[in-house]
Amino acid sequence: MTHSHPAWMLTCLMALAAAGCGGGATTATPATSSASDAPADMPSFSLAWSEYPSWSVFGVAHRRKLIDGAKGKLGPIEEKWKVDIELKQADYDPCLQMYASASCDAVCITNIDILSPSVSRPGVAILPTSTSDGADACIVEGIEDVDQLRGHKVFGLPKSVSEYCFVRCLEELGKNEADYEFASSDPGAAALAMQQGQEEYQAIMVWNPYVLQTLRTRENTKVLFDSTKIPGEIIDMVVVGQDSLKKPGADAFCHAVIDCYYEMNKIIEAPATRNEALVQIGEDFSDLKLEDMTLVVQQTKFYKTADEGSHVLGGGELPKTMETVMSFCEKHQMFDGSPKLGFGAAKDGEQVNVRFDDSYIKAVKASTAAGGTE
Amino acid sequence: MHDIVLECRGVSKRFGDHAVLHDVNLKIARGQIVSLVGPSGCGKSTLLRAILGTHPPDSGEVLMNGKPITGPGRDRGIVYQRYGLYPFLTARQNVAFGPMLDETNLAYRFFQFPNWLKLRKQHLAGADDMLTRVQMGKALHRYPEELSGGMCQRVAIAQALMMKPEILLLDEPFGALDEATREEMQEMLLKLYAENLAAKAAGKKPPYTILIITHELNEAIYVADRVLGLSQHWRWEDTGGPSHPGATIIYDAVSPVFSKDVEAEAAAFVRQREEMRRVIFEPSERFGRESHTRFWQQCAAGAGVGMMAPIP
Amino acid sequence: MIRQPISFRAHIALGVVSVVVLLTGYTALSYRQHQRNPSDKTIPNWSQLADGVTRVLKPQDRYDGASWLWTDAKATFTRHFSGLAIGVLVAVVLGLGMGCFTPIEALLLPPLSCLAKIPPTAMLAVFFVLVGTGMELYIAMIAFGVIPTLAQSIYQSARTDVPEELIYKAYTLGASHPELIWNVTFKQILPRIIEAVRLQVGPAMVYLIAAEYAIGDIGFGFRLRMQQRLSDMSTVYIYLAVLAAVGFLMDYSLTWLRRLLCPWFGK
Repeated sequence: MTHSHPAWMLTCLMALAAAGCGGGATTATPATSSASDAPADMPSFSLAWSEYPSWSVFGVAHRRKLIDGAKGKLGPIEEKWKVDIELKQADYDPCLQMYASASCDAVCITNIDILSPSVSRPGVAILPTSTSDGADACIVEGIEDVDQLRGHKVFGLPKSVSEYCFVRCLEELGKNEADYEFASSDPGAAALAMQQGQEEYQAIMVWNPYVLQTLRTRENTKVLFDSTKIPGEIIDMVVVGQDSLKKPGADAFCHAVIDCYYEMNKIIEAPATRNEALVQIGEDFSDLKLEDMTLVVQQTKFYKTADEGSHVLGGGELPKTMETVMSFCEKHQMFDGSPKLGFGAAKDGEQVNVRFDDSYIKAVKASTAAGGTE
Repeated sequence: MHDIVLECRGVSKRFGDHAVLHDVNLKIARGQIVSLVGPSGCGKSTLLRAILGTHPPDSGEVLMNGKPITGPGRDRGIVYQRYGLYPFLTARQNVAFGPMLDETNLAYRFFQFPNWLKLRKQHLAGADDMLTRVQMGKALHRYPEELSGGMCQRVAIAQALMMKPEILLLDEPFGALDEATREEMQEMLLKLYAENLAAKAAGKKPPYTILIITHELNEAIYVADRVLGLSQHWRWEDTGGPSHPGATIIYDAVSPVFSKDVEAEAAAFVRQREEMRRVIFEPSERFGRESHTRFWQQCAAGAGVGMMAPIP
Repeated sequence: MIRQPISFRAHIALGVVSVVVLLTGYTALSYRQHQRNPSDKTIPNWSQLADGVTRVLKPQDRYDGASWLWTDAKATFTRHFSGLAIGVLVAVVLGLGMGCFTPIEALLLPPLSCLAKIPPTAMLAVFFVLVGTGMELYIAMIAFGVIPTLAQSIYQSARTDVPEELIYKAYTLGASHPELIWNVTFKQILPRIIEAVRLQVGPAMVYLIAAEYAIGDIGFGFRLRMQQRLSDMSTVYIYLAVLAAVGFLMDYSLTWLRRLLCPWFGK
């Protein structure tokens, strides 16, 4: 048995993964009775999502048969808007790559992470799903206050929401970022290390579900500070690629996605279906139970209605928020070439990388008010 | 009275239900070249392994110079039919291998490296010497795979003799070689025997005692001064046992030095060969154990040859 | 008829052809992607790759003037080499022990065969507990991945590649047991050991990259993760190319080592 160039094999495997063909993408399992087949000429668009409270909503929508995530199959909302939505589930990092390589039309992504891929693939944010209001936290063990934190390494994923939250919280507390050491680690690994009581890991900066898990598993851990200091800055949203918006049926797709999201929120808010819906989301989010999920949806504050969404996306706060975000990203060298941001509907001749446009939400709201669906 | 180097007393072995060897008794005196023949599968290799010490017998014992053996040792050298040499050593390194293993250990070679280098030079010089004596002077630095079959066996014999063993065991050493090479090797053995005779004449101890296992009758008679036959075709009923107890020594006789040219001697050669074929190899003719094991009687009667020839 | 030889030139020519085909295929792929999206970064074209080279060689304040490539390469290859060195040493001892002494074989073979089936990447959490983080973790990951398979391979070799005739003969030449293990068994199976190690160089790198991906803060695995997140594929491809080149070099060095130490093997 001879073996040639093991490094080539590694190269090919990683190249495939890097080109976005890997990453554990799966399509949602096809529903059965209430789905109907899409006619051949119906436009089809794909939405990539990863496990996160406000994004798992789409997975649950498929399970509750509001939409059918399989390509070529339609649920009631898709039939209403006459567009076929294909759901692609993957881990968060592969979702980013799918968007960048145009393997999906739309992606669930944060306002911080969209900036870098937008340089090569401009996009439009059509729907804010939630904001981190405690879902990102600095968990410490044996450290009393922020000043004590100075001598310790804080473990978290660099150049991500975690580091952003960390830096901004320090700013809010009047501390200097340079006095603190942010060390690189996968949040899952950091949480595990802290749960096991490893010496070096006395401070970690992670997101849910690791926040809850760590607090629960390890004694004497507490939250030093979290994103409740910066509500509304970290925004989870759905972004559609600009190239995809040029395709026929794109508007219908945006409307359908938004409509689906708000319909699901109605179900979550309704007392009769709330618990059941939370449990279902929990199954798609690290298998958390009802009690934890109730806490989770507080820490990840959903933008439940069209009014809320419109307020966030089209309101005056957003440009200021994005300025803060941009300066963080630039300081931490997160992209090559500065992405341009645009707010509101597209103007002629304007070239932006990320546009925040609430017109789709408005359109859905108008249509719902007019058509009177429940 | 005789200087007995190797003795087997009542060696028996069975593998499960299958009885292989039964009550093998033999004595080999110093300076003899003894050939052991027998039909295929009669147990020659089993006997060899028992003598070598790697697979001890079920009953009986093997004695070297009167003392029972406890496993392989440097008093018994071996040359196998195949895998004769170490493939990762050159010819001279192969021959010097024995002295290295015997005279030094790993600690010495590691911690007293300069001294070891000096010693090694001596070993290699001795090896070169030995190889020249077996006409392998030109192949000192070659690896075994670069040597022909005959050359490998020569080196293997040199390697074994380098240790000056009490007895040299040869397990069908020339079986894989062609006719011409085989004859050369037989001549080499006869040369060694000539050294034995010279030593005897000078009143010194003969240097080489050899036991050669072969299934080639001609070779057996030609090379050796004594022929042993191991066979399962004997009258085992005489022992009174319920079933075949295994092969045993059924033939043991003097084998004179024949000259192929002299007609009378050629006829005697053929007669002995015929006798051996009937006694040892023929299944339908079965004899008792006493009938053809006459070696020591022959010697006592003054019919011994070569090393066993009576001293005038 | 199979196994017909071809000329040396033909050999080289065909090798070159396959590399050219690969590079051409990549260029075509990149071109197509750029047709769809001119500012695409996911399959970089050659000028983007050139930018990538500049980027990875640029001196960084964070690393006292050293470039990304130098810092990461130093970290990753040090870990790789240390892990392999320890893994190979332990595997040789275990493999020889099992091959030469039946009690050791009976004791160690069952657990080793089971452990060989567990991918070390799945055991990251376990290693956290046992050895913490830092160099020990990387060495543990590589060693755990390499040792079971390599030890078994060496054990097999010690059992079947040393004819028993050579062993018995060694005893008749005055060898002691340690001498037999070192001067006969080990010398005989050395070329196979080197070949087996060659096969483990790739997997060792896989385990290392997986560990660095999760918990590293320098190294190839870490940099690949960070840059992939930021869609900086030029850097990724450059790093992959470096990995391939180094892998090829290690492969070649081991073959050369085998030819140097075991000139008698496989002519």
